[in-house]
Amino acid sequence: MSAPPKEGNPVRTFVDEVWGSIFRHGLPTTDKVAARTALTNFFLHIHPVRVKKSAIRVSYTLCLGGLSFFLFILLTITGLFLMFYYIPSVDQAYQNIKDLQFVATFGLVIRNMHRWAAHGMVITVWLHMARVFYQGAYKPPRQFNWAIGTLLLLTTLLLSFSGYLLPWDQLAVWAITVGTNMAKYAPLAGPYTRYLLLGGRQVAQGALIRFYVLHVIALPLIGFLLMVVHFWRTRKDGFTGGL
Amino acid sequence: MAINPYDTPRGKFRTRAETTRRQFLLLMGTLASTGAVIFGSVEVLKFMFPAATGDAPQQFKTTFTFDELTGGVDGSGKAKAGATVRSITADRVSVVVDDAGIYAVYLICTHLGCTPNYVPNVTSGSGVLDAVAAARGDRTGSEQIPNGWACPCHGSRYFIDSTNFYGPAPRPMDWVSISVAPDNFFVVDRGNIVAYRQPGDNTAPQWRLLLKTKKDNGKTLGV
Repeated sequence: MSAPPKEGNPVRTFVDEVWGSIFRHGLPTTDKVAARTALTNFFLHIHPVRVKKSAIRVSYTLCLGGLSFFLFILLTITGLFLMFYYIPSVDQAYQNIKDLQFVATFGLVIRNMHRWAAHGMVITVWLHMARVFYQGAYKPPRQFNWAIGTLLLLTTLLLSFSGYLLPWDQLAVWAITVGTNMAKYAPLAGPYTRYLLLGGRQVAQGALIRFYVLHVIALPLIGFLLMVVHFWRTRKDGFTGGL
Repeated sequence: MAINPYDTPRGKFRTRAETTRRQFLLLMGTLASTGAVIFGSVEVLKFMFPAATGDAPQQFKTTFTFDELTGGVDGSGKAKAGATVRSITADRVSVVVDDAGIYAVYLICTHLGCTPNYVPNVTSGSGVLDAVAAARGDRTGSEQIPNGWACPCHGSRYFIDSTNFYGPAPRPMDWVSISVAPDNFFVVDRGNIVAYRQPGDNTAPQWRLLLKTKKDNGKTLGV
């Protein structure tokens, strides 16, 4: 709670009002205020107000889900910066990537952060799934969250796959050629899936813009929505012991 | 509240109309919404399948003429330049000249669709020779030509007649139609396959663009 406004000092009253409208509590020095802080802060309410001491032992889960989320945030931010320089056109994409590496100041850092965070996220998501599996944390009441988790794993892999095409180098084009030809082997829907993915029969401009849209908007949005549900269910189902 | 004739206590209309107006409207509304959702879904799905694509045309003209490729034709109807292979990697076609004539191989690896590269010797690499012996051990002389194609993606190898013999490729690459235009350049039609072979079919296709007449012999295979 903000302190009652002091008489006779309008500036101080205004500052207190603004401060009090943003932070509805004082410094969390006591358990009670700390609990209220977690409850009333949008960014903190994702955490439980109270956890057992045994539940925050890092060695229990290695915080793999949290690491995946951290990498997702990192990828969103670095990806946003990359979008300022990248144009999804077959004539320009490769040169844009080269410019990012050799012309844009710190472009190489941003690009490599995006690249390594992407590899890292695939690894942490897999390890997170393995951890949940080996601990039996998918068992009731958490079956639904396991199902959401598998969709998140799929989303992560599709994000990784769609991002692979964007540099438009030889590796990208042939990796997508191979990948979409694998999709073609699926019974009945296979050839249609390939046509839908590529927006044509060849890996060309139509494919590049489709993978770009999937990579920067569609899949991150799906991933975000699934994450919201995933975290919500984690809170509702309780912690197995680790954070 | 207006009196609903169907709700008369005498029950005159009871048997005829067991559905109230509200239920009827709900049913109609549900049907309309369902229809709209189905139609909308179909529309969105159709929208995502492009009606026209920016794909390269199936037909294209080569940058070299008949004479540039063959070096002219000698009296016995053979190319003066001898056996020649010209790969047009950007258009994914190799044009091959042998003693019988000219044919074009569509360079789409039958494994997962990469572009195999022309190599003068497909027998390099460990294990490849065994595969050659298994596939061609019974053939002799000029039929054991060492040139062909190697796929950079997963290492499939093809003989010069496009028969696969090594690596994951399940079947030979296809041959496509090639003809000579009036201006003496070649026209390759990748939409017109003249030799299609199933897995395990190692028959050498006989289709050729004949050097003497500049017409094909029409001996298609598997199409």
